[in-house]
Amino acid sequence: MDHKRTMSNDVLASSCSFAGDQPRHLSRSQPSQQMCSKSFNVDDQTEQSWLESLPPEYPQSLSLNCSINQIVKNATSDWDAKIMLNNLSFLEQKIHQVQDIVRSIICQKSVTSPQPNDLAVRQQLLTTDLTSIIVDLISTAGNLLPSIKNNILSTNPPPEELYSHFVSSTISKPDAILPKSEELPLEKEKDVSDDEELMKSVVDCSGKLYDSLHNEDHDIKDIEDCTEADGSYEVLQLEKEEILAPHTHFCSICGKGFKRDANLRMHMRGHGDEYKTPAALAKPSKDLEPAIIKRYSCPFVGCKRNKEHRSFQPLKTLLCVKNHYKRSHCEKSYICSRCHTKKFSVLADLKTHEKHCGRDKWLCSCGTTFSRKDKLFGHVALFQGHTPALTADEDCVLATLEHGNGKELGIEAEANRCDLTSDSLNDVLDTKIFDDDRTYLSALSFEPNDYGVTDEFMKVAFGLLENSSSLYPPGHFDFVQKYGGNPGSGSFL
Amino acid sequence: MKRICSLSSPESIVAVLSADLLVQILDHICDAGDRKTFRLVCRAFLSAESIHRRALRPLRRETLSAVFRRRYPYIESLDLSACPALDDAALACAIAGGGEWRRLLRVGLVRASGVGWKGIEALVEACPLLEAVDLSHCCRVGDREAAALAKAVELRDLRMDKCLGVTDVGLARVAVGCGKLERLGIKWCMEISDIGIELLVKKCRNLRALDISYLRVTNSSLRSISSLEMLETLSLVGCRFIDDEGLAWLNNGRNSLQSIDISRCEKVSWSGIASVIEGHRNLQTINMGDCYTVLSAPFLSQLSLIKPTLKMLKLDGLEVSDASLDSIGANSINLVEIGLSKCRGVRDEGILKLLSCCTSLRTIDLTCCHLLTDHALFAIANHCTKLSCLRLEACSLMTANGFEQIVKSCSELKEIDLTDCDVTDTTLQCLSKCSELLVLKLGLCPKITGKGLAYVGSNCRKLQELDLYRCVEVDDDGMSFIADGCKKLKKLNLCYCIRITDQGLKHLGCLEEIFDLELRGLEKITAAGITAVSMGCKSLVELDLKHCSSLDDSALFALAQYSQHLRQINISNCLVSGLGLCKLLGSLRCLQDVKLVQLSHVSVEGFELALRASSGRFKKVKLVSTLRQLLSPGLLQMLQARGCRIRWMDKPMVCP
Repeated sequence: MDHKRTMSNDVLASSCSFAGDQPRHLSRSQPSQQMCSKSFNVDDQTEQSWLESLPPEYPQSLSLNCSINQIVKNATSDWDAKIMLNNLSFLEQKIHQVQDIVRSIICQKSVTSPQPNDLAVRQQLLTTDLTSIIVDLISTAGNLLPSIKNNILSTNPPPEELYSHFVSSTISKPDAILPKSEELPLEKEKDVSDDEELMKSVVDCSGKLYDSLHNEDHDIKDIEDCTEADGSYEVLQLEKEEILAPHTHFCSICGKGFKRDANLRMHMRGHGDEYKTPAALAKPSKDLEPAIIKRYSCPFVGCKRNKEHRSFQPLKTLLCVKNHYKRSHCEKSYICSRCHTKKFSVLADLKTHEKHCGRDKWLCSCGTTFSRKDKLFGHVALFQGHTPALTADEDCVLATLEHGNGKELGIEAEANRCDLTSDSLNDVLDTKIFDDDRTYLSALSFEPNDYGVTDEFMKVAFGLLENSSSLYPPGHFDFVQKYGGNPGSGSFL
Repeated sequence: MKRICSLSSPESIVAVLSADLLVQILDHICDAGDRKTFRLVCRAFLSAESIHRRALRPLRRETLSAVFRRRYPYIESLDLSACPALDDAALACAIAGGGEWRRLLRVGLVRASGVGWKGIEALVEACPLLEAVDLSHCCRVGDREAAALAKAVELRDLRMDKCLGVTDVGLARVAVGCGKLERLGIKWCMEISDIGIELLVKKCRNLRALDISYLRVTNSSLRSISSLEMLETLSLVGCRFIDDEGLAWLNNGRNSLQSIDISRCEKVSWSGIASVIEGHRNLQTINMGDCYTVLSAPFLSQLSLIKPTLKMLKLDGLEVSDASLDSIGANSINLVEIGLSKCRGVRDEGILKLLSCCTSLRTIDLTCCHLLTDHALFAIANHCTKLSCLRLEACSLMTANGFEQIVKSCSELKEIDLTDCDVTDTTLQCLSKCSELLVLKLGLCPKITGKGLAYVGSNCRKLQELDLYRCVEVDDDGMSFIADGCKKLKKLNLCYCIRITDQGLKHLGCLEEIFDLELRGLEKITAAGITAVSMGCKSLVELDLKHCSSLDDSALFALAQYSQHLRQINISNCLVSGLGLCKLLGSLRCLQDVKLVQLSHVSVEGFELALRASSGRFKKVKLVSTLRQLLSPGLLQMLQARGCRIRWMDKPMVCP
């Protein structure tokens, strides 16, 4: 009994009863539907059952156990006729049991109105048995999902195929077992939704029930999905735990988990010679189910990848399921160490992001950023007038301004700012160049000793160049030309 | 008589020839020298010329704005590529100085390495009608400059060859900003990739000419380019990642393409070109030289699809058999130009078969077709009477007989290349009868003497270019004949004509129009000869004096004094000192490109001072690599900041 885990909330407690306890309020007395929960043990497994009491208009209420039952222990995917036979006979027995219970309910009803407690207990029993029948049916139906068989802890909503199987297997006698339920009190559920996980499963159950009974299309689709014979694919649905489990392949002997089946097979060699045969070591052959295509459904109800969704799109592989579930329904726990803002739930996504994070920020003139150049160019191609922004505009200018080499740029920047009048430009040219660039441009500040030039050489050199203004910087020459006038026609060819 | 007298005074000339008449006369004067003479007549002629002038090519940035403002109100194209030390400040200053910038349609900034985005921005702002810009070889131009340029919304023609900094982003800016682009050249813009080309194609739907030579683009670029409906000219030279699959995208039947250049595309084969032909039946020129492909029969028969339109076919470096030439001739009868340079297997028979069909050929390139003899020349003479250009470099089996036939029947011959053809004086005697000849290349013909040049000088009066590289027998007399006869000579190559002395150069001094003079390895010439040349050849712009080991400082003084238009000079391996160098570099205002390798008599200080004296107007300097450490870092920084590219040569530095 794990009250704390499942029901910690007052509201829930008021409307639900727990296993072992007698239901305190019978749901019948209330006009609307209520959910009850009860957990009990079957086959030494902790299980939960979700009881649903129906409105008084429907006396033949149904309680449904939606739990996972660990029945199939043969973890290997080998098909064994013996086990199959065992399972079938076991099933037969159970069906008989269920029949007995139903009969007794009917008898009691016809004689006296049954005590509510009594009825509830019977309902629970009925649910439990039905569930185990369903699970048995699945397990015997052939190849089991490799992950289902490893499931031990089942505090969660059951895999959906239980329902679909349930629907398909019980459709022959719906009056006896299935309720004709009405709308479910979703508002109430919302109120109760403190324990998120629990509520999810509640919604899960009721929603599915509702759908499976009242939405005929869906019914048919479900049936189609499950009828493997008619050539469509088989939809499998894993549980959250299974999806999030680091290992998906477990040793049936020691329980050690592995990520890959091949690794498990390698491991199995240590358990005995029978696992060393080429057949045991070989990849499990797919001859057994050649026609069946497996597709996967996300356990999150409401998700498009969940098979209850109106436009359900199945996931192709187990890896898809894992990544989809982590990306869409899990917390994003990996945070980029560079930008500290981007979060991911799949480690590979983080690594991909970190490769590009921080650099190659492709920016459009509209302000949108892109991680990849081709994406930016696609965007630019799409929108009229948009254009790629130059990377680090300001940085560029600052760098050149600060740098010695970029002095001219600095000058021009200033010149451009002041309206480009010739006076201002000349001022700029005359002053700035002489002030700042003296070391580079002005020969007048040329220090002979810097280069070990002899005085004699300098004398001769300057004597020679006396009449020439060539040693003056270009700005000065501009000035001379402008104000000295006289631009000769000889400058043109 | 009276009338003539009255005409002699300027006023009366103007009375007879009004301004509009003068302008009409100017329509027929194209040559720059003639125009100069025209505007020197009188003030009225000068103003008429100013009004008529549409294009301007200033040689000094200092005078730019003043002249522009005062004299030429109707300038449409401005070529600033010859302006030394043109930088952003100078450009902004010139723009601010006034002038009819608003009318400008075309601006040339080739090799204007000092101009950056600020200058371009100011230019674009000042010229709202700007249609064409040429930024080729401005290696420092990058995305910022492209972004500045993108504000010229009317831009239709843009060349950005070798603008090494331009990436996809820069191209995208231009593509988005200048949607009316019709011609674009982005050759050697190595950073541009498929993504940029794709966007360009999406944004500029009017593109007619596109040059993406040497880019690292792949077939996907061709895929997007194939969607351009107006495309006429496509250059894909040296696109290493393009193959037949990419060319197959052009097989879409748009029919707009007229010219395709796929030379040096290593992965392209004949089938790719065949698919282009199939898609574009109006193709006029195909250049598929150096493509490592074979001329297979299916390809040659494919040529018949464009039989009426094909004008030019270049097959340089391919294996061309007689049969292929026959097939080409049969399938392309309207061919005007054929290029068979360095083709293996070209023989007289093949040429005969080709030419018997293609009678309208004007240009024939048979460079390095060693097997050809006089018979090929006879065939040319018989069939190609309209021939204007014939290149026969290294066809050494041809003799005077063949050329005699050529000269007789091809009266329109303008250009002939006989480099390394063992030309003798007799051959020159025949050739000189071609009075229309403009270009004559006689390099590596050691048998030519002054006598042969006398024939040339006496008849080829229109000659503009003469190449006498390593014609070792040519002497001063030959120079006198050339100088007397070929007054229009613009380019003259006398490298290693070792018998030429100062006397020969003095003859050359009367060639006023000479523009490019190469005197490499003339060890006998001294300052006296150079002085004569620099005083006489007033238009001299390029001068090569490498290995002229008798030259000293006084030659440089003369150049500094008289050759004011000199833009490019090579004085490597000359015996000049720092002083001469300093004077030379300091005085010549137009000098932009200097080669100063192995000047053993120039000290490090001399280099330092001389380069400082240039006040940063150089665009290219070639120096010995040992100077890299010896020159002051400040100087090098200053040079580079001004857009100068220094090439360091790994030569041992000779100490004086």
